[in-house]
Amino acid sequence: MSGGFEYLKALIVEDNSHMRALLRALLNSVGITDIAEAAQGQAAIEALRLRRPDLVLTDLAMKPMDGLEFTRYVRNDQNSPNPFIPIIMITGHTEKHRVEAARDAGVTELLAKPITASNLFSRIAEIVERPRAFVRCDSYFGPDRRRHRTEGYGGPWRRAEDMEDVDVR
Amino acid sequence: MTVQTIEKKAEFIAPDAYPQMIGKQNGVRALQTLQSEHVAMKARAAMEAHAPMLRDAILDHVEALEEAGTDLAQTFAIAHEIRNFAENAGMATAGRVAEILCRYMDEMERVKKAPEPAIVGLHVAAIARAARAEEDDAKMGEMVAGQLNALVSRRLAEAGAR
Repeated sequence: MSGGFEYLKALIVEDNSHMRALLRALLNSVGITDIAEAAQGQAAIEALRLRRPDLVLTDLAMKPMDGLEFTRYVRNDQNSPNPFIPIIMITGHTEKHRVEAARDAGVTELLAKPITASNLFSRIAEIVERPRAFVRCDSYFGPDRRRHRTEGYGGPWRRAEDMEDVDVR
Repeated sequence: MTVQTIEKKAEFIAPDAYPQMIGKQNGVRALQTLQSEHVAMKARAAMEAHAPMLRDAILDHVEALEEAGTDLAQTFAIAHEIRNFAENAGMATAGRVAEILCRYMDEMERVKKAPEPAIVGLHVAAIARAARAEEDDAKMGEMVAGQLNALVSRRLAEAGAR
């Protein structure tokens, strides 16, 4: 059984060449073969512009431009080729404040290292099966950070801050 | 009491209002692909094929870890790399011990205290021993990791960290 990914283009942003090779092999196994690679954020921006990928897998800790800065560029820069592109951030830094920073930068999914094939595939399935709505407000543009939004729900909201993230008009 | 809320306008963009990674037609096939046993087998084979290369990389990292000596920033960075993919290299024990070392160093930094060189040294030696072992002995690894974890938890509590 294979199919569905023939035309998908992916970009892997990771400073560890071994991890890049492993991620490429895992993507290959589901039929994704058009894959660009970059070792850090600056090079990834260039690849984004030239290759126009449909999916990004990015590491968090890289130099000189890390995965958070790269994600903020993708979501917010006026030159970004696709601010809506799904971004899976792959990181060994799973402390709460780092997870929150990734979420606030606008990542779509987070994947903890060490990676497994099933975890990677479940993140991709989540993007396919349950695409996230996007939210634009003064301080944020990116996937809705609240996952379980009920369609058509008009309130009442549990917290006043809820209104920062979701259109309540 | 009057509760006043300041409504911040936010634009909500539904998934069907922007281009999706995969269209609905291909989406069904894509999900079947991701869940198929055939693909799972291919992925397992890909992981196994990469394990020797990853093992060599971990052994290089172990050498660098031993050479890092008292350079704590370097020790942390290398231990973190080992923690990140030792398990993918079939070196679960080395990865587990590296994770404990990272937790110890991270927490000590959080409470602004210097990590004890003896504790760091114990972990570095355990990582090196586990990585260079012919085979990853899961039972022994679990025991070593369990003891180091208990030691680190005790030291962190004494230092006022978690």
